[in-house]
Amino acid sequence: MPSLIDLSFAANGTPGGNPERPGAPSQGRDQSREDANVGATMERTQPREATVWPGGPGAIDQIVEGLREIWSRRLLTRYLIQAELTKKGADTLLGNVWWVLDPLLQMAVYVILVTIIFQRSIEAYPLFIFSAILPWKWFSSSINDAITSVTARDRIIKQVKFPKIVLPVAAVTGGIVSFAFGLVPLLGLILLFYPHHLSPTLLLTPAVAVVQFAFTLPVAIVLGAVNVFYRDIGNVVRHGLRLWFYLSPALYGVDQVAHLTDRHRILAWIFAANPFTTFFESYRNVIYSGVPPLWPELGAWLFVSLILLGMAILFFKRLEPSFAKVL
Amino acid sequence: MFFRRHRPAPQPVDYAIDVDRLGVQYNLRFTRRTTVHGTFKNLLRPRNGPTHFWALRDVTFRVRPGESVAVIGPNGAGKSTLLQVLAGIIQPSAGRVDVRGNVSSLLTLGAGFDQDLTGRDNILLAGAFLGFDHREMLTRLPEIIAFADLGDFIDAPLKTYSQGMRARLGFSIATAVEPDVLLLDEVLATGDAVFREKSKARIVELLRAARAIVLVTHDMHWVAEFCNRAILLERGQIVADGRPADIAALYEERSARARAEREAQEAAAIARIRAEVASEAAPTARG
Repeated sequence: MPSLIDLSFAANGTPGGNPERPGAPSQGRDQSREDANVGATMERTQPREATVWPGGPGAIDQIVEGLREIWSRRLLTRYLIQAELTKKGADTLLGNVWWVLDPLLQMAVYVILVTIIFQRSIEAYPLFIFSAILPWKWFSSSINDAITSVTARDRIIKQVKFPKIVLPVAAVTGGIVSFAFGLVPLLGLILLFYPHHLSPTLLLTPAVAVVQFAFTLPVAIVLGAVNVFYRDIGNVVRHGLRLWFYLSPALYGVDQVAHLTDRHRILAWIFAANPFTTFFESYRNVIYSGVPPLWPELGAWLFVSLILLGMAILFFKRLEPSFAKVL
Repeated sequence: MFFRRHRPAPQPVDYAIDVDRLGVQYNLRFTRRTTVHGTFKNLLRPRNGPTHFWALRDVTFRVRPGESVAVIGPNGAGKSTLLQVLAGIIQPSAGRVDVRGNVSSLLTLGAGFDQDLTGRDNILLAGAFLGFDHREMLTRLPEIIAFADLGDFIDAPLKTYSQGMRARLGFSIATAVEPDVLLLDEVLATGDAVFREKSKARIVELLRAARAIVLVTHDMHWVAEFCNRAILLERGQIVADGRPADIAALYEERSARARAEREAQEAAAIARIRAEVASEAAPTARG
């Protein structure tokens, strides 16, 4: 065993890695077939041969295989989520209390900062920012969980063959639970303090959440794989997320920065390219303003997210064979 | 060569594991502590030395059903890497590996458990990782718990377990599913006398059902007791393959010789240093 720790390096499976053996046949296609049916049945009847990258399985094959793995291992995903919830103490009363209190306290901080220090006044400002803080907390905690999702399971990765892609998927899917808990104080806030903001469009919140989920998934999958090779990616991401949040219309509305975006084209570009502009405005529409979300923009981001998801799965599948060697 | 070319379709399988000229290469650039920071540092100041390393090279062997093979050898010989390739965890860099049937591979038993979950939850989680059917796992749960014999600890978090208890739970899971091929890495070192007897009985049972077992161990008593074949691995290559008693004896002999060589080298080095010190000291003493 000590030898494993000393000799943990990356695979030969990176592009350009070339087995020195001249006689080694490269039959990557066999391998993709073999891997595809492992998920459900554990049957291992196809021989595994050395893979040389350019001749490896095709991109579409690998994406389909990744999706099949996610689907066939949904039970594992469920267990992983349950394990994570148990660890976060969500099965205790206090654990749930914190899930409710946490976004409320964060909201209180921003309310104090903006209304008292900056002297800005927006009608029902607590509700205004809460409808952005809640989805952002969901996004950022999902990403943070996903970054370490693969590396945290390093020991089981070195012992059992299973599709590693379920790890970031479980991290992101598990985040839905905390988001759902956050809806409790949101509803309380509306009913207790802003009953005139209650509107049937509130029921459209899950529609926006679906698009956000579709966008979060590829980001999480890519970062989960990158962290295997660069363990300090979390530090970079943490600051990136903070900047991202302030550049998104969370504490302010898009109309409030209109004078800035008119003058600086680059800012307008940033807002247009940021999916959270659409997400936050849409959440605010259905929760705060009582109007439908930005359907066309949401549709466009769903489309983009699905393309990103395909690329992310491909990226993950290409790196996956090296995980056990690097970890 | 003639046989190879004209071999008929491999319908009747007379082996459980077929390893043909297997090679596994590691890339030394990506080590455990790779960081963005470190990569920039390496770009500025490239390190010298080899970038690749063959952990296994030209390894060829077959295991028939009913065989229990011990893989022995010094640290760093590639034993654990070999098990990982057989389990499908690491892809071969060269050659071919063919493992037939279900593989159970909780390699180092108990190391992959989740510390914060109970024993019961860990059984289900391990089953899900291994890809076993959920319903089958639930029906086997009482059996696994009974075999592990942990008493009330089965509902306590794993972090409260002793090393031996973890190994018991791991062994119980790995063998409960009746795999065609069982891979075990350093498992028999732990556990008390009673559990050793039980696990021995379980392994004999698996062997009788024509399953194949490959296990890595340093304990030569277990090699003789559990295995009907042994492979000696050194520096990623098979040195010897045969009866456990012979191979174990060969291994002891070779490691004794290696130890003697190392001691001789150390003695020579010490003698050289002493001589240097003496020659430096001599003129000053005289002057």
